[in-house]
Formats: sequence, structure tokens, C-alpha cells
Amino acid sequence: MEWERDEKEAGRRGVTIHGWEIDSSNRPILASRALQQWEEKLETCHLPEMIFGDSSLTLKHIDSGIKFYFSAFDALVGWKDLALPPVEVPAAQKWKLRSKPAQQLILDYDYTFTTPYCGSQTVEVNHEDQITTARSLHWEDCQDQIDVISLSSREPILFYDEIILYEDELGDNGVSLLTVKVRVMPSGWFLLLRFWLRVDGALIRLRDTRMHCVFGENKESTVLRESCWREATFQALSSRGYPVNSEAYNDPSTSCPRLPIIMQKTQKLTIPSIFSHNNGIRSKGKYRKTGE
Amino acid sequence: MCSDLDRQISQLKRCEALKESEVKALCLKAMEILVEESNVQRVDAPVTICGDIHGQFYDMKELFKVGGDCPKTNYLFLGDFVDRGFYSVETFLLLLALKVRYPDRITLIRGNHESRQITQVYGFYDECLRKYGSVNVWRYCTDIFDYLSLSALIENKIFSVHGGLSPAVNTLDQIRTIDRKQEVPHDGAMCDLMWSDPEDIVDGWGLSPRGAGFLFGGSVVTTFNHTNNIDYICRAHQLVMEGYKWMFNNQIVTVWSAPNYCYRCGNVAAILELDENLEKKFRVFEAAPQEARGAPIKKPPPDYFL
Repeated sequence: MEWERDEKEAGRRGVTIHGWEIDSSNRPILASRALQQWEEKLETCHLPEMIFGDSSLTLKHIDSGIKFYFSAFDALVGWKDLALPPVEVPAAQKWKLRSKPAQQLILDYDYTFTTPYCGSQTVEVNHEDQITTARSLHWEDCQDQIDVISLSSREPILFYDEIILYEDELGDNGVSLLTVKVRVMPSGWFLLLRFWLRVDGALIRLRDTRMHCVFGENKESTVLRESCWREATFQALSSRGYPVNSEAYNDPSTSCPRLPIIMQKTQKLTIPSIFSHNNGIRSKGKYRKTGE
Repeated sequence: MCSDLDRQISQLKRCEALKESEVKALCLKAMEILVEESNVQRVDAPVTICGDIHGQFYDMKELFKVGGDCPKTNYLFLGDFVDRGFYSVETFLLLLALKVRYPDRITLIRGNHESRQITQVYGFYDECLRKYGSVNVWRYCTDIFDYLSLSALIENKIFSVHGGLSPAVNTLDQIRTIDRKQEVPHDGAMCDLMWSDPEDIVDGWGLSPRGAGFLFGGSVVTTFNHTNNIDYICRAHQLVMEGYKWMFNNQIVTVWSAPNYCYRCGNVAAILELDENLEKKFRVFEAAPQEARGAPIKKPPPDYFL
């Protein structure tokens, strides 16, 4: 089984519960050579200075083959496609008045590495030991909401991890950080993928994607996915009476309420009952933990 | 007097901070030494060049294990002593105490983090407040930052600086005329020396997409090295996974001395040893083992995040 092979890898941990295999790995940043390969594949010469390219989080529904995973590479593909215009730092105004060298190239890529990424997914179907993958999952928009109340209950956490996918210090002008946190409880799993950006004196951007799956017995199970994007310029924060010093925005969670929502949507994915049914029988509240 | 200082050095080597009054006295003595230094401080070989440390005290102790103790080894540190790591206070004070005790055996130049504005955002200010209950120590240290030299010149052949070059600087004499005793400005030559970066895809000068901050290409380095009759430039400022990185046909090298940067990157660090004939030897080292650290760095505990 793939699982047992994984156990030998450093920094890799996981849990199997209710028909889900959930595992994570925390590895060092990419070395120069790997970085160069990523640059070639992504057709860019600018990547975040800290890419945890071998770190990942995977949640696989064993019977259906549905697999959700989170990877720096896919997130950077999203950044490359989005290609937002660069954000100017406050000092830029002063620099415009500065006498310029005769020959000067102005770089204009999105150095904030802002991505619309909300996770990757695939369906792995096992045909006589041949794994084929398809990307045919259908998420439908819905009015449901993630059940925050049940998630606030202090049920035991059976598995927890926090994985950094990439990070950049914006040349000491703030922070760009993409992380994913996961917790697995007896009732289900919950994760938060968070893109956090602070360009000191200029802009704050928070793009959260939450996914929640309640383990079901003998019925189809659903995965809810909620995306919420927030954004404010320091100027807008100032006009609403909030502080404008960068130190006041070191923590995304405490900064969050000050940032207006610019996009919000909830979607759900139903995993057919035939699979869930099997799972219920197979795992019945048992779980297995590895790599602790 | 010296025995007092020696006691403080041994205390700092155990990662124990000094009393506020001791910090004040130490900074006053350091100021007297640093004020005499040139913006382009002359350094003799043999010397060992170190890049960013960022408050990673126990990793700096690894550096000294690999490079040898000061004063036996002559050191040049390229700035960014503070911020981001857990022990900026102890790291900077140890280096400063060594500077006062052995002024001719250790040279400290200024990095972009040796600034009031940057340290308020990236950790040193908060650490001082947490460890001393007041910001006085932060004030003494940031006042000393203004006196740190801007660059060093080893045997007239190797130019060392934290960040890089500036379009406002063609000759070393132009650096010598800068009035450095001030907070790091937002633009101009002094700012560029601490902030700019070499960049492969730029030929000549480039402007960062942030709208502030210069990038310089190979031709700029060739011209600068030729004009000033130097062999190469040694700088720090940028994380390199392998600890050091040459660019532009060995005309400039980046040295990075914070292993496992921010306690999570898993990178190695390096120092550059130059012997009396300026023969180079990079010494690569890893982060201090877990048990050598005062407080172990644990994984964050499970958290009921929403």
C-alpha cells in the first residue's frame, strides 16, 4: 500500500479514518536546482524566495478515489494565470521623483504571489493496478454554510498539522504567505487554506478557503467548500479609523474583521452513497495514526 | 574594566541578556569605536565573512564553532543581526561586546534591518519590550545602528556590503562622503547599499515591481569592479538554500549565514574564509541541533482554528 511507503519519508504524517486517508508532509524549501526547474515549468524567473515545494496535504476518499490535495506548484500556476498588476509600496511615490539611471528596466510581475488557488483535486480510479486520474468532480454553488458551531465544540483532535506552501518577505516590505491547516476529529475533517498578504503601508489581502467534511454512516457525504476573499488598502483602513502601522497587522486572524469581504461563495460536493456506505462499514469509528 | 566586559561576553555566550544599565554602558563604548570607522572600513586578511544572522543565536554559536572564536579568527559581519529570530537581543549584544573588546578583530557593517522602522515591524522591538519591559534597550541599540559602517574593503580587493550597488555610487570615494549617522533613508545611495539586489534578467539597472528598490545586472558589477580595481563583491541580504551563490561570472557572491532560516526553511548556511593570500574557502554549516537550544522549537500544538 502506498501508505506504508509514505511512512518512511521524513516529515510525513497521517491518519486513516472513516474511509479517508489524510496525510501531510513538511519538507525544506526548494534548493536552487529544483527552483530552476520550477522556473522553467512555470515559465517565469520570479518565484517566492521560500517555496516548500515538497510539502503537501492530501485527503483521499479511498473508495471513490476522490483526492483533494494542496501544493505550492498548483497555487503558483494560479498566480501565473491571474497575473495581477504589481502593488506599489509607499516609497514608490518618492522614487518616481528620483533621478533615474539612463538604462533602466522596470519589472512588472506580481511580486505578491497572489493566487486564486482553492486546492487541487483529482479522482484516482484503480483499474487492475493502473491508476487513471480524471478531473471530473462537480462542485455546485449552494446556500449551506459550514457549521461553525459544531466545529467550535471541543471534541478531540485526532490529527493536526499546519503546512506552509510558500512564503515571501517581499524584500522586507511585508509578507506573502500561503498555508494550509487541517484538523481531524471523530466527527469529520476541517481545513483552512489561507493566502495572507501584507504590503507594508499599501495593501492587505486575505484569501481563505475552508473545507469541511462530516463523516457519515450509511448515507452519502458532502464536502462543503467556502471561499472568502477580503482586501483593504492602508488608506481605506485609515479612513475607517483603523491603525496604519504594519505591526497592527501581524496576525491574519485578528486583522480579518477589519478587512471588508470582496468575494464569498460556498460550494458543495456530494460523494455518492455507494462509496460512503462501504466506508461506514469499513472503518466504524476506528482510526489509525502514523508517523507521530 | 576588561574583566567586567569579559564577564559580560561569557554571559552573552550563554544566551543570557545583560542588564539595561550594562547595555547602555556597552553602547556608549561601542559608539566611541564605531564613530571613528570609515563608511568603507578597511579590513585585513585573513578574515571570515558572515552574512545575515537574524537573531538565530544558537545558529550563530554553530557559526563560531565552524569558523573559530573571536579574536582568534578575524570576522566581518555583513549586517542583519536582528529581527525574525528569537534572540536578536543576545545576538546583537554579543557581537557588539566582541567589537568593544576586540575592535580590530571584528567588523560589523549595517544591514537594512539595523533600522528603527524595520525593527518595529519584524521582531527586535517586540523582543526588547518583552525581555526588558521597556523600549530603552531598543533605543540604545538602534542609536548604535546609526554608527555602524556601510561597507568594508578587504585588502583593497574585495568590496563587502549588505545589499548591493547604487546608481548614485560609481566609486568607493562616493561612499566615503555619505553622512551615515542617521536612520536608513528611503532612497539614495545609503539606502541602495543596504537594499539593492543583483538580478540575472537585468542588464544595467532595474527597478523592483514594488516601485522602490534597485536591481543591478552583470554589466553594472563589471563596471564597478573595474573602476574601483576590485576582484569581486561580497554581499548578503538574500536567502540562498546552499549558503552561498556566485553570480555574473564570479564577480559577486551572496553569503547567507542563517541556517534553517526562521526555524523552518531547512537551508544550510555558509561563511567565507579568506586566508592571507585571499584564497577562498566556503564553510557550509547546519542549524544547531535541537538539544543545543535553550528552548526547543516545537511544532505548534493542535489548534481549534475556524
